Formats: sequence, C-alpha cells, structure tokens
Amino acid sequence: MDQLVLFVTLGFAVGAVYAVIASSLVAVHAATGVLNFAQGSIALWGVWVAAELGATGTLILPIGSVQIADGPAPTTVAVAIGVASSALVALLTHLLVMRPLRSAPALSQVVASVGVMLLIVSLVPLRFDTTGAVAAPILPSGTIEVLGAQVAVADLIVLGLALTVAVLLAAYFRFTRWGTATRASAEDETALRLTGWSPDRLAALVWFTTGAATGLVAVVGSPSIGLDPISYTFYVLPGLAAALIARLRSVLVAAAAGLAIGVFQSLLMMMSTYDFWPVWAQAGFGETVPFLIVMVALFVFGRSIPERGGVQTLRMPPVRPPRTRPVYALVVVAATVAAILLTEGSWRFGVVTSIIMMLIALSLVVLTGYLGQISLAAMAFAGTGGFVLSRVTTEYGVPFPLSLVLPALAATVLGVIVGIPALRIRGAHLAVVTLAGALAIQTFVFGNPAFTPYEGNLIEDPTLFGLDLGVRSGTVLTTTSFALMVLVVVGTLTWATARLMRGRTGRSFLAIRSNERAAASVGIDVAGTKLLGFAFSAFLAGIGGCLIGYSRGQLSVESFTVFVGLTLLCTVYVAGITSLAGAVVAGLLAPLGVLATFLEGTLGVGHLYSLIAAIALVVTAVLNPVGITGSVRQASEHLIHRRTTRAQL
Amino acid sequence: MPSSEHDRGGAALLEIRDLTVRYGGVVANDGVNLAIDRGEVVGLIGPNGAGKTSLVDAVTGFTAADGEVVLDGRRLDRLPPHRRRRAGLARTWQAGELFADLTVADNVAVAVQRRGWAGLVADVLGRSARTAPDPSLEMLGLLDDADRRPDELSLGRQRLVGVARALAGGSSVVLLDEPAAGLDTDESEAFGDVVRTMATSGRGVLLIDHDMNLVLNVCDRVYVLDFGRVIACGTPTEIRADAAVVAAYLGEEPVA
Repeated sequence: MDQLVLFVTLGFAVGAVYAVIASSLVAVHAATGVLNFAQGSIALWGVWVAAELGATGTLILPIGSVQIADGPAPTTVAVAIGVASSALVALLTHLLVMRPLRSAPALSQVVASVGVMLLIVSLVPLRFDTTGAVAAPILPSGTIEVLGAQVAVADLIVLGLALTVAVLLAAYFRFTRWGTATRASAEDETALRLTGWSPDRLAALVWFTTGAATGLVAVVGSPSIGLDPISYTFYVLPGLAAALIARLRSVLVAAAAGLAIGVFQSLLMMMSTYDFWPVWAQAGFGETVPFLIVMVALFVFGRSIPERGGVQTLRMPPVRPPRTRPVYALVVVAATVAAILLTEGSWRFGVVTSIIMMLIALSLVVLTGYLGQISLAAMAFAGTGGFVLSRVTTEYGVPFPLSLVLPALAATVLGVIVGIPALRIRGAHLAVVTLAGALAIQTFVFGNPAFTPYEGNLIEDPTLFGLDLGVRSGTVLTTTSFALMVLVVVGTLTWATARLMRGRTGRSFLAIRSNERAAASVGIDVAGTKLLGFAFSAFLAGIGGCLIGYSRGQLSVESFTVFVGLTLLCTVYVAGITSLAGAVVAGLLAPLGVLATFLEGTLGVGHLYSLIAAIALVVTAVLNPVGITGSVRQASEHLIHRRTTRAQL
Repeated sequence: MPSSEHDRGGAALLEIRDLTVRYGGVVANDGVNLAIDRGEVVGLIGPNGAGKTSLVDAVTGFTAADGEVVLDGRRLDRLPPHRRRRAGLARTWQAGELFADLTVADNVAVAVQRRGWAGLVADVLGRSARTAPDPSLEMLGLLDDADRRPDELSLGRQRLVGVARALAGGSSVVLLDEPAAGLDTDESEAFGDVVRTMATSGRGVLLIDHDMNLVLNVCDRVYVLDFGRVIACGTPTEIRADAAVVAAYLGEEPVA
C-alpha cells in the first residue's frame, strides 16, 4: 500500500507539468485556435534560465547574457526571472509567429509551432552548459507521511500550483468578461471584432499568462523532475493527449487528465519492477501511453473536438503536378553521378545521405504536400524499415534486394496503422497523432533493450550476383558501388512516384486535399485513398530507412529520432513541400546531407545545424509558405508571363 | 398532399421513399417521396430553408437519414457517398466545391478514372492518365477552358464545371443543386437546353433552382418542398396554378 502511495506521489511533479501544459494548450486553443506544439519548449527555456541563475547568477538570453549576481542568485529571483522568460517566449511566439499565421492553413500553423519547438530545443544546448547541471532545490525538502509512505512536500506544492493555475484559468474563462470574449473569439473572430473587442490582445494575454504558468510549474518542479536538455519539450505530448481528452474545451478536465497521465506513468514504472511484468514492456512503455490515449480520445470524440471556424482559411500552397521532362531528370542524375564519382570520404557520405534523405523527403511530399495529411512520423517509418532490415539480414539471411522490400512492407503496415486516425481527424489533430506515434515507436521499439541486442542492430552488407555492394571497403568510407546502388534504388522509386503524382493517384490525392466532401461526391473512396497515401509514403520512408541502415552497417537509433524527423520536416517545408523539386532540394539540406557536411566539415559549425533549420522553418512558414522551389517557380512563371506579354505588344 | 402523384407502371429510375432527415430537434425533411424516371427532368423548388439541399445531401449519403433510396432497383441508402456515385447517382454542390489544384479537365477526369490500387499500378506501369476529355466537357462548352484552373473562370462557368463533373462517367441520375446561379439570362436559357440534352440519353435529372422560368420551362414534373414536406407535385402547368405553392412562396395561409 505504502509503495503504491509512494509511486502515485512520485508522479505528481511530472503530472503537474503535464497538467499545466494541458490546461495552457486548451486556453491557447480557445483564444487562437492554435495547437501549440512549443508549449513544452516554453517550459524548457524557463527551467534552464532559472537553473543557470540559481547556479551562477548569470541570466542567459537567446543572444548574450547578463551577470545579475556574483555567485548564485537568490531562489526567488531565479524563479521569477525563469517564469518571466517563459512568459516572454510565449508572447513572442504569439506576436511574431502564430498571429501572422492566424488565417493560414493548419499545415502552416503546425509547422510553425513545431519550428518554434525545435528552435528552443536546439538553442538550449548551445546557450547553457547542459553537462552535469543540477537544479538547485527551490522548495522545502521535508517529507510528510501519507498512508504510511513518505511523500515529498515539494511534490505536493507543485501539484497544488498546477491545480491552482487550472482553476484560475477556468474561472477566467467562465466568470470574467474578458474570458467570455476570448471564448467568443473562438466561435467567430470577426463578430467579436465588431463588438469592439480586440481578439489579438485577448489572445496575447492568454499566451503570456499560460507561458508564465507553464514556466512557474516547470521551474518549481524541475529540482524533483531533473534537468534535461530535451525532455520538457516532449512533455507537450502527454499535455496534448490530456487536452484532447478534455476535447479542447475544459481547462479543468485537461489538468486532471494531465495529472492522471503522470501518475499512471509512475505506476507503470512501479509495475515494471515486479516479476510478472514482461521484459519487453520494461522500457519505454510509459511513453506509449500518450499515443494510446490520443488514439482512443480522437476515435471516441472524433469530430466533436472543435475545429475553429471564423476567419477564412487561406489555401495550402498550390501544387503543379510534375511534367515529363526527361532532360531535367537526366541532368539531375548525371550531376548526382558526377557528385558521387568526384567526391570521397565524408563528402561522398554526405552526397549518399542526401540521396537517401531525398527519398524520405519525397514520402512527405506525397503524404503532406499532395494528400494534405500532416505527418510528423516519417523518420519513425524509416526507422522501422531499418530495424526490420537488421533482423531479416542477420537472422534470416534475406538477400538484397528482397531485404529492402520486406522491411519497407513492415513500415507500410505501420504507416496504415498510424493513418487510421486520419479517417476521422485532420489538420493539427492528425499531426498530434503522428507525433505521438513517432515518439512511441522511438522509445518503445528503437530504444527498448528487449528488442535491441547488446552489440546493436547489426546489418549485413548487401550483395547482388556476387557483387559486393557494401558501404565500406578497407579504408574507403563509402564505396562507389554502394553509392550507385543507392542512386539506382532512389532514382527508380522517384521515377515511379513522379508517375503516380502525375497520374490518377496524384489526381485523387489532390482532389482529397482540396475538398474531401467533393472528392467523395465524384466517387473517390476518401478513406481508402488516404490509407493508400499513408501506405505508399511509409513504403518510401521504409526503403529510405533501409538504405540509411546499409550506409551505417548497423541501425543507429540516433538517425531516426523524432528530433531528426521534425528537422527533416523543416527542411522539406523550407524547400517546398508540394513538389518533386522540393524533395530534391530537401535532400541536399537534410540532416547529415550535403549542407550539413558543408557546415560541419568546411565551416565547422555543424552544431548550429538544427538551430539554422528551425529558424529557416519559422521564417519560411511565416513569410514564404511555398518554399524555395515554389518561389523559384513563381519567379520564373512571372518572367515567362512578362516575356510573352511583351512579345504580344 | 395534393394529388397528381403520378402512377406509372413499373419502378422509376430513382425512387426516394419516406425520406426523413433530422438535425437535432429540427426536422429538415419529413417523409419525402420522390421519383425520377429515365429521361425525365424533375424540378425541385421551395422557399429558402425548405429542405432542398438537405434532401440532396441525404440522397447522396452526405447526411444521415431514414428512408429508402433505390436506384434502378438497387438499394443505396446504406452505402457511403462514393459508392452511391459509382452506382450512378451523381450530384453537384451549391457552393461549387471544385478541386482548386486540378485543371478543369482533371476535375472531370478524376470522377471517371480507375482508382485505388488499380489506379496506382496503372500509373506506374500503364499508359499516361491523360486521356481524351470527357464528352461532358464538350456538352457544357468547356473544352476551351479544359487546361485552366477553376479560379480562373467566372462563377457561372465554375458551376458548369461542377455539372460536367457530375455527368462524367455516364452517371444515370444527376442531382443539380442550383447549377444556374451566377449565369445571366442568356446563359441560363442555353443551360436549359443542356439540361434537356442530359436527359435525352435516358439519364434522370433533378433540377433545384430559384430561377422559376428555367425550372418551369425545362422540367417534365416539379415537386414543391416547404418545411421539409412535399406540398405539391405535378406538371409545370399544374404547379403554376396550385394555391398551396403560391401560398408557400407568398407566405400566406393556403386557401383550402
């Protein structure tokens, strides 16, 4: 009994952070219609600012720093400034990023808030000394006895804070005129404007307040939760799960659900110490909880979760299906072959990685750019491919190229499973499901010692008709034969994909993207076609994952983290998510690709890569939603148009 | 109900029986019976909010409804919308709802092409999906606009694209929800001829429109809907003379 109580209370600190994130998400959604993926990152920044102040008295800003005390700053000062920085980050996110996008398509809003999330999480290890940092205690360290267990007073206080925040937020929305006006803005922003309120100011107030509240609970809870350069960022997922349970309506239900998730995860931890608990479920099982909850919540509540009406939604960036231009294709292939033959060492490795990443980028272009389904799970599908590849080559000796196909089919199955919720939900909610799914796969499958042998997931080199296609040979880092094999595989699939996008399949995808009702009314099976899109996209990503696996000689989990997946989404969006050319450019820009090699090897600033990617994403999302390739095309269409009109004069 | 419920031998091409649609406590359609024969143009009129669009939504499967929808002897009322379309029951939308990213030709072609896995295999291995334009484009005079995108056309012509899309693939019944809105008088008259042409091949047409001239000139029979019920049904001549119809449109108590 006392052990049960102990584990329940051990979940309080994390549960409190989930709870405050969940209630903040509901509040921000009510005020602006945005699902803020960056809410966890907002907490992360405040936690580190407070910790650094508590340790050295230095106030770290995104650029520069201020020494405000010789030696550790007083606890109250550290907490207050930490909370204030969270609040400011939230306010800036609203003013600079989300407000300009208030009438943009869900895709732009999702990628922009994902961009802010990545921006902060990339900035933290650059600005703070994250090795060995410890959060100084903030609250009294005593314990009290509850039902025979020693419970930390600090955890109870953190819990109390989170619940107080939720009650105050709920009271604000229910009992104040400002709160009522904010709720009204979710119904109809224009009408509210006509009655003399400013929805923008109301929204800014909510962003600022929830930012401060999230910062407060996270900072105060951090000594008990621990300092970590990433984890707070992904606390947004349990937060989102809880917010969805509350149907994005009730702040109080969201807070309660967040707390329950924290406690439940803690109880799972306790269960995993028992003998009867299966070994495979000992690690990472807690992280699958948000995913399962999100799936169930969205399936049960489905359409009853409000999507915001009001301001007219801008269209997704336009799509121009690829035309058959063998000349261009030949030029690209020739340039790639030249790049392979003329490079060596890490540069050739960068070229090959770019080719592979292009294929995974293409899977996003198909699914998100063409079919309009926002997926944050591409790298998880790729990782699944690599994971299965390791099994089929080392344990069953499946020969190449069948060894590519089988794992890709496994990824396909997973893609369909993650795609099933897309039959009932769309937009930002779908992004939540895919992100939760990706995190669940990462921690439960890739990071689970029960599935990964001690020596790692080794992968045997591919051979074809006695020809060694292995990536390494003696001191050669990347063999020509391997690079050419990758080019052939990726080239063939790209050609097939281009035909699909130009053909009937692309047509039905675009029809569904622009109007699902109308698509059904012309006889398109919307559900089936969506699943087809998820399946095909996951297949491409799965092949890409196998190729990454072959290029490493073993499955490196680090290649397939959610973090890499989100960074890849950044590059694809920046390059242009609606075109084949966008995928090619994204490959060049992708993590570990040519640009990354250039930053790392030539400029020596490889550690800035994800920060640059995140900034580029945010700027692109706000200012140039068609991406690099889109603006190049617009410029050239403009030129051609001018030339033809001038010729007519 | 005023009589003139036609009694013709055999089942009609499309039979709607006892169709009821409820939105919460509001009854949008209340036990509607309606039939469309082969080669027949049937009008559906009624004041705003009478339940015309809700009827089309229910028949095509976009709104849950009680009652039967039978096309050529086959029950469709349990099928999802895309299966009803493939069975030959097509519709247009009041708001157009064209596919903004597809050209006019592709807006129509997407309705007739092979789909799903078959389409996927055909795309990769088979011949190009660029086929000859569907005959409906020519019928509606849209051939010149085939390569344009919908937002480059006037609203009236966008409606026509919607009509072409519904005709494509040889649908046996089309439900036209205010297809002539946005057309000027001449265009509207020309459109009347097109509607007659649609029906000559044995297709059944349901025409909903506020343009009384168009409806009464083109249709073989006209149903009048008010507060979700059919209050009259008959030939255009009968409808013109029907007291209940006049009352519904002028808002007076019907003269018994």
